[in-house]
Amino acid sequence: MSKKTVVDIVTEWDIVAARQLGRNITKELGFDTVNQARITTAISELARNIYLYARAGEIEIEKVDTEDKKGMIIIARDKGPGIEDVHKVMEDGYSTSGGLGAGLPGVKRLMDHIELKTSIDKGTVIRVEKWL
Amino acid sequence: MKELQAQYKRILADYVESQTERNLYIGQNFIRQLIQKSVTPEEIINIHKSSMEEIYPEIPPAVSHGYDFLIEVMVHFGLTLREHQSLLEHQEELRIEMNVAAKIQNMLLQTEMPKTNALDIGHISIPIRKMNGDYVHFLHNDEDYVSVGVIDVVGKGVPAALCMSMVKYGLDTLEYTNGEPSYVLEVLNRIIERSVDDSMFVSMFFGRFDCARNIFTYGSAGHEPALHYKASEGKFHMLESKGLLLGVMPDVRYSQHEVELEEGDFIVMMTDGVTEFRNQSELDSRKVIEALLLQLKDLSAQEMCEQMYQELKKLQELALDDDFTVVIFKK
Amino acid sequence: MNINVQFRQNENIIRGFVEGEIDTYTAPVLREELDNLRITKGVSVELDLSKVSYMDSTGLGIFVALYKRATREEAEFKLVGLTSRLARLFEITGLSELMDLEVDTDTKVEIGNESV
Repeated sequence: MSKKTVVDIVTEWDIVAARQLGRNITKELGFDTVNQARITTAISELARNIYLYARAGEIEIEKVDTEDKKGMIIIARDKGPGIEDVHKVMEDGYSTSGGLGAGLPGVKRLMDHIELKTSIDKGTVIRVEKWL
Repeated sequence: MKELQAQYKRILADYVESQTERNLYIGQNFIRQLIQKSVTPEEIINIHKSSMEEIYPEIPPAVSHGYDFLIEVMVHFGLTLREHQSLLEHQEELRIEMNVAAKIQNMLLQTEMPKTNALDIGHISIPIRKMNGDYVHFLHNDEDYVSVGVIDVVGKGVPAALCMSMVKYGLDTLEYTNGEPSYVLEVLNRIIERSVDDSMFVSMFFGRFDCARNIFTYGSAGHEPALHYKASEGKFHMLESKGLLLGVMPDVRYSQHEVELEEGDFIVMMTDGVTEFRNQSELDSRKVIEALLLQLKDLSAQEMCEQMYQELKKLQELALDDDFTVVIFKK
Repeated sequence: MNINVQFRQNENIIRGFVEGEIDTYTAPVLREELDNLRITKGVSVELDLSKVSYMDSTGLGIFVALYKRATREEAEFKLVGLTSRLARLFEITGLSELMDLEVDTDTKVEIGNESV
């Protein structure tokens, strides 16, 4: 079974809504407290990036609950300025500089997998996965 | 993780039972192990929470919620810690690369001291950091002349080292022309001016000794004046020569001057790392250096260089804060 | 080791007061401050260095860069309040022939060809 839910990120409180949605799914799937905290933090970071640097976008959370696979796929989409140097934003030390993509090395550490597609002036799609 | 949790629980239970220093010590050693295994802070709090709940099933829910809150907020702490660790590893890689680069630089910039009967030559160059910002280049391809360039690149570290290589290859190319100091400085100025950024430049003293005529011809591009000791007078003369630093403006003209070296005379060329006493005034430093040289004047040129370094280092209480370079030509 | 820079702008004249020591460690701070200045045609930049107690060649580099930038932009650049020690640094490096400098009159520097 797989189910997708989308939260629009426009105001700061939408970040909280995305966290809440993510939290509920982590609980349903049976992630332990630490991993609940990690996944929620990752969602929070992605949503905050959209809110701060792209103005508007969405967070899609997919709950995967099948016989052989249990976990979550989270996709952050925005129509913001895009990220100029994709390699750089994944490097440690970048997070302190601010700007779109800040905190991505952290998100990468919290999750099992991360993918990033970006295009200047068109926007950015970041996909992360965490498996139980 | 199960195993670690069981151990933690045991240690914690021991401490709760009896609050001894010994139990605390065991706890700290255990945490050391966890850190080595890269267990994150939020995991440690979670282990603590579970252990507490197992030891005290009747623990109030408020306390458990408190731990949950701590786990949440510590996730960021853990991330920062891991980023820090990864940056440290990165720094270590850079340090290793830097060492390699420094070795290559030293190899590239090796200069051979000319062997000649016409002059006694001494030379010392001590970098303050890994990469030396000073450079000495000797030219001596026939019996007629011995030339030396004493160079100080402004700016430190890698950019200075790259600039230095440029100076070296410039001088290597000039080697076959047996250039006059003013010509050498003019050519190098053009090379450097074209190639480096606005805040980078080089000071250089260039001297050429005519072995047959005993004439020392010199020019300076914004460099510390050299000292000429005249044995017949028992006095020092400053060899000053006006000239702009290399690399500031294109098409700069440099003047050159001549002095005759008589028996017992010597010329001391140095960088500002020698003359600049940070905590004392400029005038004092010149006097100190001259007085010191007077004491050393009967040693060989090489011994004079080495003694000068030792004495000045002592004087500045070992706090030399710039590259230190001296070249002595002694008749 | 510390450095402090303050600017006052009065129409086309930017006056800066630099205080402290300019060396390898503090130079980047000063450099950033100066890079942020808006230097355009007709602007006059005047830096007061009378409260600079120490400067090494890295400091010279910064002022040379600023001098070049000002020249390119057809702006004026001047250093004032140089102590004798600083003035000597500009003298030796030949920069005093190039740049507009004003030495603190109490401590005018003299450079002879012969030392005592």
